[in-house]
Amino acid sequence: MEDPDSLNQLSLPALPPATSARIIPLPKSALATASVGTRLPAVAPGSKLAAITALNKLRPTLWYALQFPQLADCPQPRQQKILNELAALALAVSATVSFHPLALVCEIRSSLNYFGGIDAIHDKLKQSITLHLVESGLPDSFLYAASPTVTGSLLLARSGHNAVVYRKDNLRSALGQLPTSVLELNKEQNRRLYNMGVRHLRDIWRLPGDGLRKRFGSEFINLLHKAVGTAPEPTFNYLPPPAFVTCYDLPFEIENLDRLLPVTDEMLAQLCDFLRRRDLSTSQLLFSLLHEKRASTPVAIGLRQPSRSREHLLMLLETHFTHLSIPAPVTAVRLEVKKFDACMSHSDALLLADNSISSSSSSSCNNYNDSHLNQFIEQLQARLGEHHVKRITSVAEHCPEYACEHLDYTEATTPGNHRTSRNHPVALNPRPLWLLIEPLRLIVKAGKLYHRKPVTIVHGPERIETHWWSGHDVRRDYYIARESTGSRLWIYREKTGVRNWYLHGFFA
Amino acid sequence: MIISRDSSQDLNPPSNKVYSDIARVSHPLGEGRGKGHIEHLLHTNPHLWRGCNLAGQGSHGRSTGFPQLDAILPGQGWPTKGLMEIVSPYWGMGELQLLIPLMRSIVELGQWILWISPPYLLYAPALVQAGINTEQVLVVRLDTSCKDALWSMEKALQTETCGLVLAWQNWLPSKVLRRLQLAADTGNTLGVIFKHHDSKHSPSPIRLQIKDSPHATGFNEAEITLVKARGNFRPLSTQLNLYQHFQQPA
Repeated sequence: MEDPDSLNQLSLPALPPATSARIIPLPKSALATASVGTRLPAVAPGSKLAAITALNKLRPTLWYALQFPQLADCPQPRQQKILNELAALALAVSATVSFHPLALVCEIRSSLNYFGGIDAIHDKLKQSITLHLVESGLPDSFLYAASPTVTGSLLLARSGHNAVVYRKDNLRSALGQLPTSVLELNKEQNRRLYNMGVRHLRDIWRLPGDGLRKRFGSEFINLLHKAVGTAPEPTFNYLPPPAFVTCYDLPFEIENLDRLLPVTDEMLAQLCDFLRRRDLSTSQLLFSLLHEKRASTPVAIGLRQPSRSREHLLMLLETHFTHLSIPAPVTAVRLEVKKFDACMSHSDALLLADNSISSSSSSSCNNYNDSHLNQFIEQLQARLGEHHVKRITSVAEHCPEYACEHLDYTEATTPGNHRTSRNHPVALNPRPLWLLIEPLRLIVKAGKLYHRKPVTIVHGPERIETHWWSGHDVRRDYYIARESTGSRLWIYREKTGVRNWYLHGFFA
Repeated sequence: MIISRDSSQDLNPPSNKVYSDIARVSHPLGEGRGKGHIEHLLHTNPHLWRGCNLAGQGSHGRSTGFPQLDAILPGQGWPTKGLMEIVSPYWGMGELQLLIPLMRSIVELGQWILWISPPYLLYAPALVQAGINTEQVLVVRLDTSCKDALWSMEKALQTETCGLVLAWQNWLPSKVLRRLQLAADTGNTLGVIFKHHDSKHSPSPIRLQIKDSPHATGFNEAEITLVKARGNFRPLSTQLNLYQHFQQPA
């Protein structure tokens, strides 16, 4: 590795060295949280920045930048996905990993001693990162550099120097070697710099700051200040996605699933605590019941609405257990939650709906009841199965058997489903409440119609001729009839072929 | 006849005495005021009735939409909660027409109607014609087992968002019916069970029977018999034009 520290240094005005005398008194815990990059609780942005600047002054940092130029060819979402995966790998060496265009930067100063030098860290990272890049089908090379500033490391890495600069004092001269192209300026700015005779960063160091600001804007100046460590560098840190896994080994084998409930209740309590602390909720849980020498029995619980209510989850689990048969006694229970949702709390109406206006405000009443209803339907679906709970809608269709649709509850409530739109207009002629899925053939004996008892026609006919285009031509004459038992029937006679009579519904 | 008259005369004074005793306990100020209080209680509390009276006392029920039926039902309408049995020897005798006005008012209140394993396909266009919003209708499929259907019914009765739960079950032991009754009381819900045969010792508070009217002239007539109702001691029946809300073909 080439060390730019050893290169001949330029006669630049030295930066004031970071003095330990100017420590801003901050509570130690706040510094500690800032250093690991977790979110500071309710601190104004200004003071957070101050904390980070103070931290930089207090403790020298070393930022290890990894540049992946091959990602430039990937579409944006894939880029982000791969960077996320790489960041997860980089967490092995550093607690602070931040995202930058085509690059990751991790803070390694704090883990330098632990791993035994930067070379050890590099080797450790290189192995896993190249493997991952190969698995993703990308070239396995990457550029890297380390320096006391984030921007400095990025610039060094971008130039392909693969350099390490330990001390901030040396950073300016080390960066001075780099061509101006590493700044990734726009075409116009590049041209202007070129015309001014600026080829390397060291040429920029020589120019007066306010003139540069006037010509290239404050963003440019800010970038340079960040690079040499005289401006704060806020970063977007990688936060690993939350995951909840817990396992409980039972002290003895359990065959009766009801006796598992106290254990699972305890696990759900842990989960709900976890969710509450992170202000999350979940809609997918996976319980695994482990057996001796057998494959585990999975119990997947899906929720219609994300929840973190322990009672509700336990009730759903109980419902699942009623239908579950286990191949062997249970020795351990495992709970795994990978999918989380933001917690949406339900707010009640300010004024309780009055009875007198409740009919007009039925929609608000609906919202109020929605959570109860959803819980109830989830329970029904858990016990009966998804496809056993249906919603019905009418469809604008002449053919009676197609004029009504039974949809799965989930399907019917999916937003954007065109079929959820309000009921379509229906025929004006009376329709029966019960429809037979398969029309039942009626017997004609001695010129009289029979179902179970003789049938007399009360009203009709209503002719329905449709679906000639789809192959099964519908040409029927519908009648309302009355069986001698008192049943009101909806019957029809085929207009074509044998002209049989059929029963199609009941006016219940 | 005479005996029953005598017995009722014998019964009346003690029962009155009991009532006035209660009145004295709750209202020591005066008997007149106490009587008014009792009248008020009788009108509003479905659990309280005079054994000597015929039906139609109180007004704690929900109107059925059929004035003749209101007149014979205790509380002048369907009960707001509890269990009800409708016996119809065949399907298609207008057993659902009886409940159409009730369903309409329940949907308007924003509550849901749950149909648990109906015998045939529930036909949405007919519901729309009857003015019932099918968005608040939920159907549990026919092929669910009896055990699951009863479980769903109990859960639904306990849920306040379900205003009406309809189930088709022909034979239910009284233990199950009592359990459903309890669920309906906790959830403030009305459950209706449709069946083909009347069972004499069913604990449901209301049992109705639909019969084909013997002197029916037209399409619409049916005879409704109130076989049992809490607060009634003798069966009452009435002739109803069941399909009055139905768009009658000209």
